[in-house]
Amino acid sequence: MKISIKDIYIQFFLLGLQLLGGGYVIIPLMKKYIIDEKKWITEEDLTEFYALSQSIPGIIAANISTFTGYKLRGKIGAAAALLGIISTPVISIILIATILDKLLKISFIQSIFWGVGIAVIILVYLSVKEMWTTSMTDKMSWVIFAGTIFLSLFLKISPATVIVIAVIFGLVWQIAAEKRKKE
Amino acid sequence: MKTFLILFLEFFKTGLFSVGGGYATIPFLYNMVSDYGWYTSQQLTDMIAVSIITPGPVGINMATFAGFQTTGITGAVIASIALVVPSYLIVLFVSKLLKEFHDNFYVKAVLAALKPAGCGLLTVVGINFFKDKITDIYSFILLLFLFVLSFKFHKNPLYYFVIAAFAGLLLHFCFPSFRF
Repeated sequence: MKISIKDIYIQFFLLGLQLLGGGYVIIPLMKKYIIDEKKWITEEDLTEFYALSQSIPGIIAANISTFTGYKLRGKIGAAAALLGIISTPVISIILIATILDKLLKISFIQSIFWGVGIAVIILVYLSVKEMWTTSMTDKMSWVIFAGTIFLSLFLKISPATVIVIAVIFGLVWQIAAEKRKKE
Repeated sequence: MKTFLILFLEFFKTGLFSVGGGYATIPFLYNMVSDYGWYTSQQLTDMIAVSIITPGPVGINMATFAGFQTTGITGAVIASIALVVPSYLIVLFVSKLLKEFHDNFYVKAVLAALKPAGCGLLTVVGINFFKDKITDIYSFILLLFLFVLSFKFHKNPLYYFVIAAFAGLLLHFCFPSFRF
């Protein structure tokens, strides 16, 4: 039986609705709805999609959705899953943003957000710590990390340019290392 | 019309260059503060906090919010779509060569370079937020307190938000000189 595009959209919309607190939460949700209930993909599929999603650019939840949609119905399925997963943010954020603007005119709400803004610094720090363990594996990663700080913090070069420089540098470094190994 | 095009390109870039989850997009959002002035640094941390506790993937929430700040509902829709277009294109490409992809030398090399760079960019944003926000003794004490708590608590953002919000309220009502 062919899975309908509408069904794919609805499932991923519902998935987005229940997604709270970071992209990783999508795994148990997908297991429950897409694997156990709908039986659209297998656990092996999900494991592979998750691994791949982490190793390509972009939001992890969006990547997993696209992989799943593509497996189900090709390009159109991928688009449907992707549109489904971004529907919740679009609706909920538009609603909240409209209200937040008015709330922030109240002075004690501003004080709350003063505190919350400082909590964001801690969350950024914790996120760096988490990325650190998977990123800093060899000498090259240290050089790139230090170089990134220098380019971005002191020379104020834009993040996109920094990323391009890092990739070129990393490729040259590793190709050279590979050559040395062969010789 | 021109703003919409810039908005699309900026968020397309964000989706294309950020590796490692939703937080990895923050350096790009921060960069837009100085490049375009669509929102301030304070508004950005407000948006990040709200995005974390709103349903939906955090990275997409943040982009939608940032887009909304620029040109309202149209901006929100454009930003969220632009953010995931790279995902769509890359996934279609990768799906065709699924098996070879994992073990390809160049793919591994690019990834090995992207990860520490993304980590570095996020570190810089952390430093910038620190400079923007830690301006007096109150903010410093709160940060220190949350930092110490982070040894005990895990990454659940709600803990930090609730405590920080409470601290803000406390200061607001007990120390009138603190008020904005």
